[in-house]
This record gives sequence, structure tokens and C-alpha cells, in this order.
Amino acid sequence: MSNKHLLTSLSSVLRRTLTPTSHFSFNSTRWFQSGTFFSPNVKTHHRLFPCSGLDFLEIHKIPGKCFTSSQSAEKASAKCWNCSAAAEAVPFLFCSSCRCIQPVDQSVDYFQIFGLERKYDSVVDNLEGKYKDWQKKLHPDLVHTKSKEEREYAAEQSARVIDAYLTLSKPLARAIYILKLEGVDVDEEETLSESELLTEILEIREAVEEAADSQALVQIQSQMQEKLKHWSNSFANAFRSRNFDEALKAIRRMTYYERVKETIVKKL
Amino acid sequence: MAEPAYTVASDSETTGEEKLSATFSETAIGIDIGTSQCSVAVWNGSQVELLKNTRNQKMMRSYVTFKDENPSGGVSSQLANEQDVLSGAAIFNMKRLIGRVDTDPVVHSSKSLPFLVQTLGIGVRPLIAALVNNVWRSTTPEEVVAIFLVELKAMAEIRLKRPIKNVVLTIPASFSRFQLTRIERACAMAGLHVLRLMPEPTAVALLYAQQNASQNTNTGSEKIALIFNMGAGYCDVAVTATAGGVSQIKALAGSAIGGEDLLQNMMRHLLPDSESLLTSCGLDDIKSVGLLRVATQEAIHSLSSQTNVQVDVDLGNGTKICKVVDRGEFEEVNQDVFDKCASLIIQCLHDAKVDTEDVSDVIVVGGCSYIPKIKSLVMSTCKKQELYKGMNPLEAAVSGAALEGAVASGLSDPFGSLDLLTIQATPLAIGIRADGNNFVPIIPRSTTMPAQKDLIFTTAHDNQAEALIIVYEGEGKKVEENHLLGYFKITGIPLAPKGVPEIRVILDIDASSVLRVLAGVLMPGSHQPVNPVMGVRMPTVDDGHGWCAEALNRVYGSTLDLVTVQRKI
Repeated sequence: MSNKHLLTSLSSVLRRTLTPTSHFSFNSTRWFQSGTFFSPNVKTHHRLFPCSGLDFLEIHKIPGKCFTSSQSAEKASAKCWNCSAAAEAVPFLFCSSCRCIQPVDQSVDYFQIFGLERKYDSVVDNLEGKYKDWQKKLHPDLVHTKSKEEREYAAEQSARVIDAYLTLSKPLARAIYILKLEGVDVDEEETLSESELLTEILEIREAVEEAADSQALVQIQSQMQEKLKHWSNSFANAFRSRNFDEALKAIRRMTYYERVKETIVKKL
Repeated sequence: MAEPAYTVASDSETTGEEKLSATFSETAIGIDIGTSQCSVAVWNGSQVELLKNTRNQKMMRSYVTFKDENPSGGVSSQLANEQDVLSGAAIFNMKRLIGRVDTDPVVHSSKSLPFLVQTLGIGVRPLIAALVNNVWRSTTPEEVVAIFLVELKAMAEIRLKRPIKNVVLTIPASFSRFQLTRIERACAMAGLHVLRLMPEPTAVALLYAQQNASQNTNTGSEKIALIFNMGAGYCDVAVTATAGGVSQIKALAGSAIGGEDLLQNMMRHLLPDSESLLTSCGLDDIKSVGLLRVATQEAIHSLSSQTNVQVDVDLGNGTKICKVVDRGEFEEVNQDVFDKCASLIIQCLHDAKVDTEDVSDVIVVGGCSYIPKIKSLVMSTCKKQELYKGMNPLEAAVSGAALEGAVASGLSDPFGSLDLLTIQATPLAIGIRADGNNFVPIIPRSTTMPAQKDLIFTTAHDNQAEALIIVYEGEGKKVEENHLLGYFKITGIPLAPKGVPEIRVILDIDASSVLRVLAGVLMPGSHQPVNPVMGVRMPTVDDGHGWCAEALNRVYGSTLDLVTVQRKI
């Protein structure tokens, strides 16, 4: 595989991995809203663009610390749009008295959806099980015969839960997301300036290209896994002490190692 | 018939249809249209029930005979013997032909069927015709499927004593979105509304989820199953993770290989140098091929239970076959098919990121599941000593479709038997043509649906003002190995050196599995797209789609090409 090809695949890999949580270099809200050429039935762009990263833009519109627990407690006084029953659970995505799906509340973050503390190393125990429990309540397939309104809520809520699940289940995506919640953007387009990292990248890239057999690739793969683990821990520490520069540094490395891993998977 | 390129009206149309289906009594039925056999099932209030025709059959042969004025299908008509199906008057194996163009190898392999399959090799729909009073009467795969569906619908209406409108149909995992539109078209011709098109192994996965829901009430314990479904026309594999009645499809893989290939390989083995006979359209030759087909079919069936079989057939044209065939020979002539089956399983496990030791159950269903070699190859590829028991191999897919029909119709069951859900994944990658003739996937295969992904491209030439977005679906590295879904042009790109304008292409699959392709241009430093974004619902292509790609190539060459953006380090 030539340099050019490697770069190409790396770039596509990176973009793919990051899409749900990436920050685009332009205002995507306006981008999407600029088109009224979609179905006139679509009231919001969320139905069409469930995992577009718009969620972040929405979050950024709400300044500062809007996710404090007191606010969440207020949310508990919300009412079901259908039967007006008071919300009995946080997060309130689904009304258990009339079994009706609620509209998306952007102030509920991905951690809250799964009842997790907003910590990078929140114990992600049985995330998949919790994700499936939500889908069993929210999936659009289950509200096929219900009102158009509720079908739209189902499409949005279920897409958001998929997004939340995919984000939290991957260490890198989780790291980028939690930084975003703190108002720190990760610019995936940024040019690397750390010469030390640059050298390392070039070396690994060469190793991947020159790998003689799949065994050699598997070995690089496990090295990457080790590095990812190491930097994931560094991120956790940096984030805990709110050292965001250090956290960004960890993310840059994790991003790169993930890309190498994906490239190897393609070659294997 | 052509879909509007820009969706305005079609959405509201489907919404209107869905409202019609809101009446409680209308439980959608499940239909499995097999290449060789069909069946219909419905949730009867407490369990899934397969509907029987007037001859008390649950499995009906998939064919339509054009003998008399009115064509009749295998649901109602009773043919004196197998030979009548092979006289040239009956059309079958339509599932292998629907939505395929005449350059497709699968279409070419159908030329040995005892009716007319004419190809011109230019990427258009093949000509299909049945022999009626010594005249080749043309029809289309859609029409044949529709005639058959009308019969199934009538049969179900008699059995259930109510009109039938909504259906859940099972389809092969390898069907492209274009083929799905052809299936939908056939349903519309038959007066049916498609509530859901389910890849066959995902229907089986739903049945598995139901069977397991009662056993592990604790949603925490997740079971991974590999489903291998091989019928006459297609082989599909799925890996599903099941917990508490929810089946999440982790990966799908499929190919147009099946019992038909085993049969054809065996026919060629029994009668070497038979190529001209097999593809002949002469009346006597069709009869001879029909006889050979029946004899070979019977031999293959026998080889499932015994190790060798005596084949004794007079083809009526002076050729007599009198031969003992053993199972080893059968396995040898079909080695390529079996290898392909194994590779699909390996690919599916790889895509699902699942090791064989994580797989709790291996389920083998479909007509080919009776073949010893199929069972042994699935077990050895999955490193298992035994297969999952508790599913009828021929009824599993249609039962799953009936369950989905009940769930999608909003039914619930007091015992929680319908407390089910399938979370589907994309069976094929979808992307666009870029970097020359390469297929660049934007949504990779086995992505959880609904899904939205985007990728940034740029111009291939300096001062390129326009770019073609050509959308394909499939697994091939080169575009021509994939299915064309549609194309449109981005215009008004500001003049700039190549590589400067950013062309962002977004693929969106919504909750109803509708695919939309959006594309817009951005210039560096700007946060606004230069022109209104293009949003096109796909597929837009009609039957001549092989031709379209060729024509685009001839008119534009590489002048409107795109390349993927290279990341700076």
C-alpha cells in the first residue's frame, strides 16, 4: 500500500470514527436548515439527521454549566405530552403510565441517558443491555401504528440512544464527548505540531507498510492497543484534574492510534 | 414508475398508507418468497401459524404457469407432475432474476432454466418469456412475483376471512436497494403494502430472540448466535446479539449462491459437454433438460440421507444417463459453492467482531440445511460440535416475518411473547465513486440503522465547476462490481485549484430505511455552503442502470471526478 493510499484510508477511517461526535468546521445547523427541499412533513432536521453531531451544537447554545444536578431535578417535574402524567424517572424519555415516547430533550446528556455519572471512567457495565432496554421502549418499529408525532419522537430518541451508546462504548469517542460537555472542542482537522508525535507517527506508518505478514500486523495492533490503554488512563487523570491541555494531548494520540488500528484491520 | 428524484410527495404518500394500517384488527402477515418455495404465516393471537393452501400444503412451489389465458401460480394450481413445471410454460426462480441486469452472472446462470432468459449484455433488464402454444410470451420478474403474490394474498384472505393489505416480506441479505424497489413494485402490483422488508437471517434472529426471551428474563445476559440460511437461490449469514427479546444484528453477509448452483453443477457433472443443450431454447431440448433437472434434483435429495444414489434417466434425445453417484462426488463438484459459504461465515464473524468461542448457538436453516456437507462446514467454521435445535429449517424465516408483522402492527401479548425488537444493520456498504473508478464507502456494511455518515471529497481538476455524485451499494473495490443506485450533479463550484473546494457528501438512512444522499460545496474559510445543498432520495435508477453508468462515463469521462480528501498530518 502506497503512502497516498494509506493516508486516504486513514483519513476516511478517522472521519468515520469521529463522525457522530465531531465538530465540523462550519455551522452544520445552518447547513442543514438551508435546505427546505426535504419532505415538507419533516418538522425538524433531527428526524433526517439523527446522528449528525448537531447535538453538540445544541449543547453549545446553552451556555456554561447547564447540566447541574439541580437542573436535572427540575426536569423530573416535566410532564408527559400525551397523558400529562408527571415524569417519574430521570431521564424522562418514555412515559411509563401511557407508554408514550417523549420528545428529545437536548439537555439530557449521554451519560444521563444511561444513568451514569459524568465521569470519563464511569463504570460502563452492561452498557449494551441498558441500550437494548431503551431501544425496546423507543425504537421506531414499535410505534408504527401510533401518531405521526410519536413516530417522529421515536426516530429521534432511538437515533440519539444509538449515538449515545456508540459514543460511550468507545474510549476515544467518550473522551471527545466528555470534553465537549465541558465546552472544550476537539479540532480533528488541526495540523500536528508536536514533532515528537510526528516522528512516532511516521515510524509506525512505515512499520505498518513494511509489515511482512499478518503476524507482524497483529503485533503492531496489540502495541496500539497498549498505547491506547495508556493514553486513555492519562486522559482520565488529566480530565479529573481538569487539565484540558493534557486531555487534548491524550486525545490526539488516541485518535492516531485508532486510525492505525483501523488501517491494520483493513489490511488483515 | 420512475421515482421522483427529489422527495416531496412520496413521504406523505407512505405516511397516508401507514395511517390506513392503524386499525387494530389488521395484523400484517409474514411472507417468505423463496427461490423455490413460498410460505405465509401470521400471528394468530397466541402463536405463529403457517397458512395452508387448499391442498393442505404449508410450502408452495414458487412458479407461475402461462399455459392458459390466465396465468396461474404454484399456490392454487395443481400440476400433474414435475415435468409440467419444466415444459417451458412455467417461470420460476424469479428471486434470482428480479432487479438484475443482463450483464449479471446470476442472470447468465439462469439461462439453463427451461424458459427463455435472453440477454443482450448491455446492462438492461433481461427478456424473460414463457412458452405458450409454441410462442414465447414475454413477461417480467416483477410481474411473475406479483401474480404469485396475488395468489398468496387470496389464499390468506380465505384462511383468515379478512382482507389482507400489510405484509412483512423476507428478502436475501445481498439484495441491493434497487432490487428492493422491484420487490416493492411487485407487491404494489399485487395490492399489498410492504410494512417491512427483512433480510431472511434477521427474521430467523427475531424468532430466536423470542425463543430465548423466556429463558433469560435477566436482560443482562446476552447470547450471540450465528444464523446460516441457505435456500435455492441465496446464502445469507447473520450474527445477532440477543438479550431480553431484543435482537441486535451485529453483521450480515450474503451471496447469490444456493441449491440452484448445486443443482446446475451436478447436472453438468452428470452430463458433461451439455452447455449447448442447457441453454438451448428448442422444444425437445427443453424437455430433455427438464428430465435431467428432475433426476438430478432427486439424486441430490437422496444424497442427504444416503451415501450414494443410482441415477437412471432417459433424456429422450438418444442420451441415457445410468450412473451411480456418491456423496463425495457431489461435494467435490460443488467445492467452490461450499468454500464461498465458509467465507461468508468468516466474513460475518469478522464484521461482528465476534470470535467463535463467543457464539452460543449456531442456527442452520433453509432448504440446503438438510445437506450433510452444509451442516458440517458450518459447524467446523464455527468450531462447534452441534447445531441449535428447536427451529424448523423451512419455517424459521417466515415465522420470524410473522412475528415482525405482529410487532410492527402494534400488537402486544399478555404473556410477553411479542415483547420483541430487531435492531437492523445495513447488509451492504453504500458510498460514491471517487479516486478514479473506486468505490468509496460512506456507510460501511453492518452499520446499525438508522444511520447517518458523511465524508468530505474535493475536486480532481483545477477550476472544476461541476462534480458528479454517483452512488453505489455493494462490497467491490471498483464501482462496476457494485450496484448503481443513482447519480446527480453538483454545480456552481467556485473556480479554484484542485483540492481546495470541499464537497461534503452525507448519507442518511432513516428509521423507515429510506436512503437520502446530500451533497454541498464549501470553500475554505466559509461556514455556509456555496449553493443550496442537493438532497436526493435513492435509488433513482430504473432498469437500464448498467447502461446509465456507461453513458455517464462516455459523456463526462473523468472531467467531473471527485477525490477523497487527504488528511494532513
